[in-house]
Amino acid sequence: MATLSDSAGGGGGGRAGAELMVPQFHLKALHAILAVRAPRPLAAAPAPAASFRRRDRWFHLPLHAPPPPASAEHLPEPSPGEPLVVDVYLTPSGGGGGAEAVVERWTVSCEPWSAGARGGGGAAASGEGLAVNRAYKRCITLLRSVYTALRLLPAYRVFRLLCASGQAYNYEMGFRVGSFAAPFTRAEEAAMSTRRFAPVETQLGRLVVSVQYLPSLAAFNLEICSLAPAMLITDYVGSPAADPMRAFPASLTEAASSAPAFPPRRPNSWAPSPAPWPYTPGQQAKFSPPPALYASPTPSPPTFAGGYLQSRLSGETAPMIIPGGGRGPVHNRNMSDPVRGFMLPPPSPKNIRGDSGGHETPMETGRTGIRMADLYTNLPSVPKIKIKDSRDESGRFSGVFSSSGSPRLGFSRSSSRLSMQDDTDDLDFPFAVDDVDTPDSRPGSSGGKDVGDQASSSSHKSQDAAVGYLVHMLKSARPLRDSSNSPLTSRVESVEGGNVSSFMSRRTSDALEELESFKEIKENLLARSRSRMQESLDKSLRHS
Amino acid sequence: MFCSSGAVGYQSPEYFCGNPTGFLSLYIIRNFIWLRLLIRRFGVAEMNCETCQLKELELEPREIKDVLRCILHTIFFHRTLSLVRPKDFDCDFFEITYVQCGLPELEKEVDEKINQFVAWVEKHPNRSSQVCLSFFDEKNKLPSWFGNKTERIYWEQWFINLHVISPKRHGKSHSSKALTNIGGQALEESSSRRAALESSIHEVLFQIINFANEKKDHIPPIPDRIFNHEISIPSSSDSMFGWNTDVLRRVLNSGHPYSL
Repeated sequence: MATLSDSAGGGGGGRAGAELMVPQFHLKALHAILAVRAPRPLAAAPAPAASFRRRDRWFHLPLHAPPPPASAEHLPEPSPGEPLVVDVYLTPSGGGGGAEAVVERWTVSCEPWSAGARGGGGAAASGEGLAVNRAYKRCITLLRSVYTALRLLPAYRVFRLLCASGQAYNYEMGFRVGSFAAPFTRAEEAAMSTRRFAPVETQLGRLVVSVQYLPSLAAFNLEICSLAPAMLITDYVGSPAADPMRAFPASLTEAASSAPAFPPRRPNSWAPSPAPWPYTPGQQAKFSPPPALYASPTPSPPTFAGGYLQSRLSGETAPMIIPGGGRGPVHNRNMSDPVRGFMLPPPSPKNIRGDSGGHETPMETGRTGIRMADLYTNLPSVPKIKIKDSRDESGRFSGVFSSSGSPRLGFSRSSSRLSMQDDTDDLDFPFAVDDVDTPDSRPGSSGGKDVGDQASSSSHKSQDAAVGYLVHMLKSARPLRDSSNSPLTSRVESVEGGNVSSFMSRRTSDALEELESFKEIKENLLARSRSRMQESLDKSLRHS
Repeated sequence: MFCSSGAVGYQSPEYFCGNPTGFLSLYIIRNFIWLRLLIRRFGVAEMNCETCQLKELELEPREIKDVLRCILHTIFFHRTLSLVRPKDFDCDFFEITYVQCGLPELEKEVDEKINQFVAWVEKHPNRSSQVCLSFFDEKNKLPSWFGNKTERIYWEQWFINLHVISPKRHGKSHSSKALTNIGGQALEESSSRRAALESSIHEVLFQIINFANEKKDHIPPIPDRIFNHEISIPSSSDSMFGWNTDVLRRVLNSGHPYSL
């Protein structure tokens, strides 16, 4: 791009850029063709340094491997506006009277636009600049295609054979450059294949490149001249007779002496002889770098799994800490011996305190009361539990009284109370019962006092009382199932509500659609009825 | 009186004939709505990405490197519009000379991908596979909660189709001695197969040349280096689904090509 901008700036406009670009493309194409179609000892022309001349940077494709022949520099540049024709031919060696056979004909031409197109092409300077840039980009690709095709066509193999130093063949390859060439005969035309590259549109016209070539050169029977039979015999006899290891260094020395490594090896691979096979591993080693380690691309699954597990663990560990600490002392103090066995896993110091408290019967009540007070003060959730417990007790009494008066209300209240009792049972129901009974008896009526007395009498009986309480708890636990059913029913109701709402929305949308369709039907009917009425009126008038 | 009765008679068939028209109109409206939705979807899915499916080549495992190097470097040579230092390379098993861009890093990358593909072929023998070379342009998206991201806009994709067959006919040994010991018929078969493959490779290379010159308008401006590219090879999971995977990959590649 820098080169193009410089040239465009120097030229003073987009058209000037195009005027420079087209001749440069012709010249570049000519050099590219001659570089691989003019046989010569390639050793005499080594690859140049990394830096290229400004001229070499045209179309971002320096021609240095191999460079164009020296004779190309002396050729006159193609005149502007005229096509460039390059004929590559084979002629018998020796310069005798043998006829030349054209094996390739390259044509590079710039077909000018018609008058109308030119008028349309005359745009603003910026437009011309953009067009030149676009054309330049396309010329880059086109030149690369020519460069590649030159190496794929059959004549390239002949070129490589003839470039091999130290050998003479029965044919020579030559070229002619001009702006026109003699047309092929019908037979030659039929034998030729044609390849036409996609043209590039420029300000000056359409840049077209095409090539006509012989698809097969087997008819020429290229052979090495018999002028040097001694050398050939020596090479061929030495290879199979000697060991492969010994033969390899010999070939290397020959290659080193001749400087280029490709020419002597390449003919061997093409020639129908066993010689190329020993070179195959060498070539493979040369062109194939050491293989890279193949790593499996699966790092993300284990990371995700780890994170998921961590999240699960964190979720599970959080709720386990609180209930374990809260339940231990409560269960230990109230349960009998078999119950104590089940509750042994809780912390041992509290167990020791419980045992010591159990031995002293007269002091048990006071000590347990003090410890309970300490626990309640330490735990922040204690007041809530107390409130719930008091509510439960009041609920029980109210339930009993209400059942005698109104059975329906009593049933509903009892169910709600039982659910609350279930929540408290898991935490510290026994303690709550003992603690709450005493204050209730004092402010309560005579009935309350009787209940208090019964509680005190039951507390005196250690084991029997504990068993009785356990049985009572088990009996009271039964309503858990009944109470659990109610939230399920509520959930079902909510689901039904959602269905109803979605059903209503669907009905509404369907109704709207039907309404629109009915409106259309109505309009159609009205229109038709009007037309029919008019027709009927007309008919009636005619009849009358 | 007679006229009025006639008018009444005419009205009744009109009501009867009107019903099918209404249903038809409703049907048309619904189809129109669906068509609108489809158009929107297809409109969103459309992308300006040129795609070239190269001819399938049937080859042996030892020929994979030659073939892939030849094809990939030819494509890169045509799609590298910046300054290059072209170098000629000869294939090991074929009389074909291809051109590289003279970029050591690119050569290394291509060889690494080819080695990965060879490893895949060793695990999945006798199977048709596809190597995809994609050229894309990166654009920065607006900053989001997850930070700045770049979006890849693919503007050209080349699908190299290969069918690798096991060399059972020629035995397991590939040394020159073994080759010389092979019978004449086997040698003829090998040479004819190789000649056919060489001819097919020529066709593929000229296919690349033609496509590269016919499709030029979609190429973005020339950067100072090689275009952003991506070479995709089949992954191990493809073998489980077989043919369906190829179809799925092609469908996905129409918008967002498959990548490792």
